[in-house]
Amino acid sequence: MSEDALIGLFVATVQFGTLVFLAALGELIAERAGVLNLGVEGMMAMGAVSGFMVGLETGSPWAAFFAAAAVGALVGGFHALVSVVLGADQVVSGLALTIGGLGLAAYVGRNVVGERPETLFTDLGIAGLADIPWIGEIFFDQPPVVYLAVLLGLAVWFVLARTRLGLALRAAGESAPTTDTAGHSVMALRSGAVMVGGAFAGAAGSFLSLYMAPGWVEGTVAGRGWIAVALVIFGAWRPGRLALGALLFGFTLALQPRLQSFDIEVLGVELNRISPALLGILPFVLTVVVLVIISWRYRHRPSPAPAALGLPYRREER
Amino acid sequence: MIRPVLARRERVLPAVQAFAFLVGIVVALALGLILLWTSGHNPAEVYERMFDSAFMGTDSLSRTLERATPLALTGLSVAVAGSMGLWNIGAEGQMMAGAIVATGVAMMADGLSGPLLIALMIVAGVAGGMVLMVGPALARSHLGVSEIITTLMLVYVAIRVVEWLETGPWKDPESFGFAVIEPVPEQAALPGLFGRANIGMLIALGLLIVFWLAVSRTAWGYELRLAGSSPNTARYAGVSLRRKILTALLLSGGIAGLAGAVQLTGSAARLESGLSNGYGFAGIIVAALALMRPSGVAVVAFVFGAVQVGGQSIQTLGVSSAISDILQAMILFGALVAAVFFNYRIRWTGPAADSSGDQSEEPEEPEPAEDAA
Repeated sequence: MSEDALIGLFVATVQFGTLVFLAALGELIAERAGVLNLGVEGMMAMGAVSGFMVGLETGSPWAAFFAAAAVGALVGGFHALVSVVLGADQVVSGLALTIGGLGLAAYVGRNVVGERPETLFTDLGIAGLADIPWIGEIFFDQPPVVYLAVLLGLAVWFVLARTRLGLALRAAGESAPTTDTAGHSVMALRSGAVMVGGAFAGAAGSFLSLYMAPGWVEGTVAGRGWIAVALVIFGAWRPGRLALGALLFGFTLALQPRLQSFDIEVLGVELNRISPALLGILPFVLTVVVLVIISWRYRHRPSPAPAALGLPYRREER
Repeated sequence: MIRPVLARRERVLPAVQAFAFLVGIVVALALGLILLWTSGHNPAEVYERMFDSAFMGTDSLSRTLERATPLALTGLSVAVAGSMGLWNIGAEGQMMAGAIVATGVAMMADGLSGPLLIALMIVAGVAGGMVLMVGPALARSHLGVSEIITTLMLVYVAIRVVEWLETGPWKDPESFGFAVIEPVPEQAALPGLFGRANIGMLIALGLLIVFWLAVSRTAWGYELRLAGSSPNTARYAGVSLRRKILTALLLSGGIAGLAGAVQLTGSAARLESGLSNGYGFAGIIVAALALMRPSGVAVVAFVFGAVQVGGQSIQTLGVSSAISDILQAMILFGALVAAVFFNYRIRWTGPAADSSGDQSEEPEEPEPAEDAA
């Protein structure tokens, strides 16, 4: 395997990692506030299609990025309205959001399939760092969304761990009645968290349609939203571990389309002779295996999940 | 003063849910109307076409029933897991796994007579669905791994295995280079009933009745529901939660696998990556709307079958069939929200000794009289 191919693999690892990290970071915010949102896949699809269409119209990837974030927040707001404000089942609402979001994205984008925007996100080398061999190319010559994701990760960590707002958010996820008694609005905290989470997922979707796989086709999200949901569990609801997990999953996602070009032998099997369809199962099998290993490690300890995750809060029944 | 207080019922009653379902349909049609109208279609024309193609005439009805069959089976699959509070959202993949194993059997035993081969293929389908569920079921029962994510992940695995079979090992040598698997033998086609409806419909109906009886009329079903609603009580009563989780999930996977085999022998000519066609995902909505009850599954599956047939028919009007996915999700959202509202009842509270004459409502739970002064 050539050096270039190897560097290419790691460059793609960081990009796929960014994609799932952004979406998972949003889900982490919502879950820390106590709301499970299984609609990530649908929110990403809506973000991908709306971002792509705005990108086509304006020619500005940043306008597309923020429009996708706004659409994601809107779709997330729908989940908040149904499951937080009205207190309906979060699992059902989230699943309906995924199915409805995928359908709506397919409908909205039916006329732009196959089109190509003029401007996409372009790689942005960081002066001085981008020239370092290997490291520079892999980490410091990436599209700006990658750096933004790192900053957002730090920001989310800071807000959750070091601010009063973060404390209130986490409290809403651990014990809603206590938070309420302390004078915070659980409804506002949770709804806000879900909408911000939706914005992250939507933005991740636009990174997909304006850089990773430029264009729009139905099924372009291809399960990455679900991987993001699993990633939150892998990251034990902490931004730092989430980033590590994102790189791991990013690696498997990046590996699949590239493995064919590598002539390596593992256990007597030439990897480039394996069918690409079969290699495509790798990230999904890995997710299952990783979830099993994590549960195994926590089998005698309390789960790190927020205690009130998935439980609706009805003030009048306190 | 007597004042009204909103009291929430713990569970949604079936009658309430039936009404919520109707409201959901109305809400979905209203939102769909806006969507169609804003994108330049004539909503009345579109809805009329959908209605006609789904209900008018035996041929239309048979198409609706043909679609309702896999929806009822996947809906039942989700409902079986759901009756103990578990979510199988991978029915789409188990359907594929069932169809894969059934195809394998058909390839090996294509000399058998029709009824025998079909029976074997259906058993193989059940086995295939169960195999894909073994991992998630064991992980859930022994380690508490969320079955939601594991079952879903395996959907992508099953679909990619079919793609692999299409391009490689099972590629039809007579397909002139197209990546397709050879059709199932002719004698393995399920006998038709009328139009496009086949006896797969009766299999689905029969299973719905069996599960309705098993869940609502047997000790096994009672334990299942108990284990779902109050695990501690169930454990105290000597119910093994692990075994209950395992059986519920494996049965759920098996039924979805059966749906795959029925689809293969009933409507599809061959195993292909589009065979499951979103039925497994739609089955989640069907089961959720049916509140995990088999009787409800039958009704919702029929309505959704009609929505899907309608969605296909409007393509000739230049309308995207994605409309039917949107309508299905919107029906669920509408019903979900409606059920929240309908599930409150107004309760009048306050001391009954008030002097004002308007006391027609009996206060159910008078508050202590301390504030009567």
